[in-house]
Amino acid sequence: MNKGNEQGSNQSPSKESNSPPLLPPLEDSLSHIETELGKSTDLVIRRFAIYKTRCAALYIDGLVDKNTVQNFIMEALMLEMPHKRVSVKELYDTIKQASLPIGEVTEFNDYEALFKRLLSGETILLIDKEKKALAASTRGWRDRGVQESTSESVIRGPKEAFTETLRTNTALLRRKIKDPKLRIESKAIGEVTRTDVAIVYLQDIAEDHIVQEVHRRLEEIDIDGILESGYIEEYIQDAQYSPFPTVYYSEKPDAIAGGLLEGRVAIITDGTPDVLLVPALFVNFFQSSEDYYQRADISTFLRLLRLVCFNIALFMPALYIAFTTFHQEMIPAPLLISLAAQREGVPFPAFVEALLMELTFEILREAGVRLPKPVGSAVSIVGALVLGQSAVQAGLVSPAMVIVVALTAISSFVFPAYNIAIPIRMLRFLFMILAATFGLYGIILGLIAMVLHLCSLQSFGVAYMSPFAPMKAKDQKDVIIRFPHWGLFSRPSSLTKKNEKRTNPSSKEN
Amino acid sequence: MKLYNFPFRKPLFIFICLLLLTGCWNSRELDELGIVVMLGIDKTEESEYILTVQVINPSEIATDAPTTRPPVSTFSTTGRTLFEAFRRLTTKSPRKNYLSQLRLVVLGTAVAEEGVMPVLDLLYRDHEFRTSFFVTVAKNAPVESMLSIITPYEKIPANKIMNSIESVERNWAATKGVSIDKVISSIRNPGEDPVMSGITLLGEEDTGTNINNVENVDSPTKLEIDELGVFKGDKLAGWLNENESRGLNFATGNVHSTVITHPCEDEGTLSVELLRTSAKMKGKIESDQPVIDIKVEGEGNVAEVDCKIDLSKPDAIEKINKHVEEAITESIQATLAKAQKEYGSDIFGFGGVIHRDQPKYWKKVEKEWSSYYQDVEVNIDANVKIRRKGNSTQPINKES
Repeated sequence: MNKGNEQGSNQSPSKESNSPPLLPPLEDSLSHIETELGKSTDLVIRRFAIYKTRCAALYIDGLVDKNTVQNFIMEALMLEMPHKRVSVKELYDTIKQASLPIGEVTEFNDYEALFKRLLSGETILLIDKEKKALAASTRGWRDRGVQESTSESVIRGPKEAFTETLRTNTALLRRKIKDPKLRIESKAIGEVTRTDVAIVYLQDIAEDHIVQEVHRRLEEIDIDGILESGYIEEYIQDAQYSPFPTVYYSEKPDAIAGGLLEGRVAIITDGTPDVLLVPALFVNFFQSSEDYYQRADISTFLRLLRLVCFNIALFMPALYIAFTTFHQEMIPAPLLISLAAQREGVPFPAFVEALLMELTFEILREAGVRLPKPVGSAVSIVGALVLGQSAVQAGLVSPAMVIVVALTAISSFVFPAYNIAIPIRMLRFLFMILAATFGLYGIILGLIAMVLHLCSLQSFGVAYMSPFAPMKAKDQKDVIIRFPHWGLFSRPSSLTKKNEKRTNPSSKEN
Repeated sequence: MKLYNFPFRKPLFIFICLLLLTGCWNSRELDELGIVVMLGIDKTEESEYILTVQVINPSEIATDAPTTRPPVSTFSTTGRTLFEAFRRLTTKSPRKNYLSQLRLVVLGTAVAEEGVMPVLDLLYRDHEFRTSFFVTVAKNAPVESMLSIITPYEKIPANKIMNSIESVERNWAATKGVSIDKVISSIRNPGEDPVMSGITLLGEEDTGTNINNVENVDSPTKLEIDELGVFKGDKLAGWLNENESRGLNFATGNVHSTVITHPCEDEGTLSVELLRTSAKMKGKIESDQPVIDIKVEGEGNVAEVDCKIDLSKPDAIEKINKHVEEAITESIQATLAKAQKEYGSDIFGFGGVIHRDQPKYWKKVEKEWSSYYQDVEVNIDANVKIRRKGNSTQPINKES
């Protein structure tokens, strides 16, 4: 638990030297602090004296655990301190070494550190005429608690999800991986928000250069505030203008822990349950953590299904347009007749029809996310009845198009990672335009361009399409086909070359 | 970010131009197509082509609530060339004809007798035709009326004919579905002549074109597939009857399954279902004359017994084998008699066999093959094995 904070304090000295040192007279310091904070009402200053030496304890109401402050700071200092005359230096040392029964106490001597610690929930102890001050970790505030994941639901496996509190999140990871090599390194990012960001990795598995690269990219972020990991993602992702995500995120500790075991690096941002994981490969977005909890055969089937759905979601409307407006000879005669019968009397060209329905679906989907829960059912009524059935009955769209759009829509929900559906949703329209202008020829051109683009992407130095491009035969065991766990001997070689062996092949006998 | 600094601005610009500059120029919506399933070609006395197309009415075929409109419509026009006739059709048909889903071409007897090559040229040259359609000849009625017959049970007449051809070929072996590729390659090949299925109109033409035709349980007017038209070069020479058509299929190994019925020794008949047959032709030269050996192998079941015969005895089976072999030989000989002697048309592809087996000899005779053909000696060797005799060894009416 302490590790992160020690790291944090070790990195700060260079900055501390620049900020003004504490003013020795206590009242001067306190008035300076009050001025700086603009007499904020949540700042609590408790003045007291230990045998005539005046002291003050400062904390921000709401960010501290009041019991801790009460029992281990106030009582310890006011009631239990020996009331005898000592020098300020002696008093300070006694307090620092013996009188604060709190796990984490730090000493500092400038205002910047003071404000940083005060505002992150620590209790500051100032002693009159002493240039150094103490900060005791008394953080404690209301948070949501560890709850079931809402955006990534599973049938089998842990249901818990990360919360908005960084410490809780690191604890969730520690609970999964009880290895001394689990490294948690912290940084504060954001000039104003000073959001705590933790970099988590397994030192003997993750490649050093990837960890360093993560540090470097985080170091370069210069922004006033980080409110969610999405801010960081946009700064550190490799392909700024690609629709495809090169950073994976999840709110499930088991998914992140699985990534750490493969040699990835997790980035936890305070204030959001979504934890980033890099490097992210294209295939990762089609793999669910549940794949590893279910039997290997069904996992393989589901991964194949997701790939099929990827293609359906991306190409289905485009193919429908291409086939019905350019390549009617490729449709079997009975199907063609049926499609032609459905299109009789439809006033729009197939492309406009498809565009209308796809846009309608996107509107419904967005409305479904934003609508307050009590009126949510209204969306399904409007979507299913009004737009589906009535549009067909009114002769605005053909029933076949409704099926195409419905299948496309449902296919775009099967992916375990929400963000891989985003390029699909956007590129789908591009492919529809290509299909309407050039037919299958256009779709193939678009496909070639897309594959070339995908092959050109990298995520933290790892080829995005690996292990397909470049082809790595050894890594294929956990891409589309998932081998049973006793067959997954090695970690993905594109991610890490350290500590490759995962299991002893003979262990399945037991 | 300034606009002129936008990334991908060049590709984006080009892409936007692409969208503005193209016009989906050859896209066609499904409801703009007149889907042609059957094409009829005949000639007037002034030797103009008469082109008839059968176009489907999709909404009548794929519907829950059929109206009284017919499932297909026909449009007919004339022209000096077929292409001209096709374009002139737009004066009658509301939609441009779409030919890729064509199932069947019906040629009139006049065209067939005059030569089919000029007609097939357009069908083979135009990119819109899929070359998997069957080419047939209208045997006893004008092409226009053939295409206008409304068929029972199958809403699209073209499908009815196509399915009939395939089903007859598969189960009865008395016809042969011939696609345009096959026709053209047989015509171009000096060692082979084409055949085409014939379509016969049964009943009155006038009743057949009315939707009432299919409101009867037994439709008064029907289309039947039976005989094969024999061509010499690209000209129709004559017809093979059912037995002769089967003989052709036996000799060329095109029998998937058929039935051979023969009389028993004393009285009654016995039917054998042939399941697998194969045929091999070999060419050889004997005293400077081409000789063809046809070897037919077959396997069959006893399907129906209506005579006193004890199938449990091996010699009874042996007898049946003999009878079937004879029947096959006879039908091949009947076909040979017609094709070789009467029409002089090499529908078996004997020339091709000689070409393959005796290439040196073929070089000599290639030019005047048709004169040699009539004197080719043919040896037929049929070999049939009965494998199964069904669930009983005795006829059920036999007194025991």
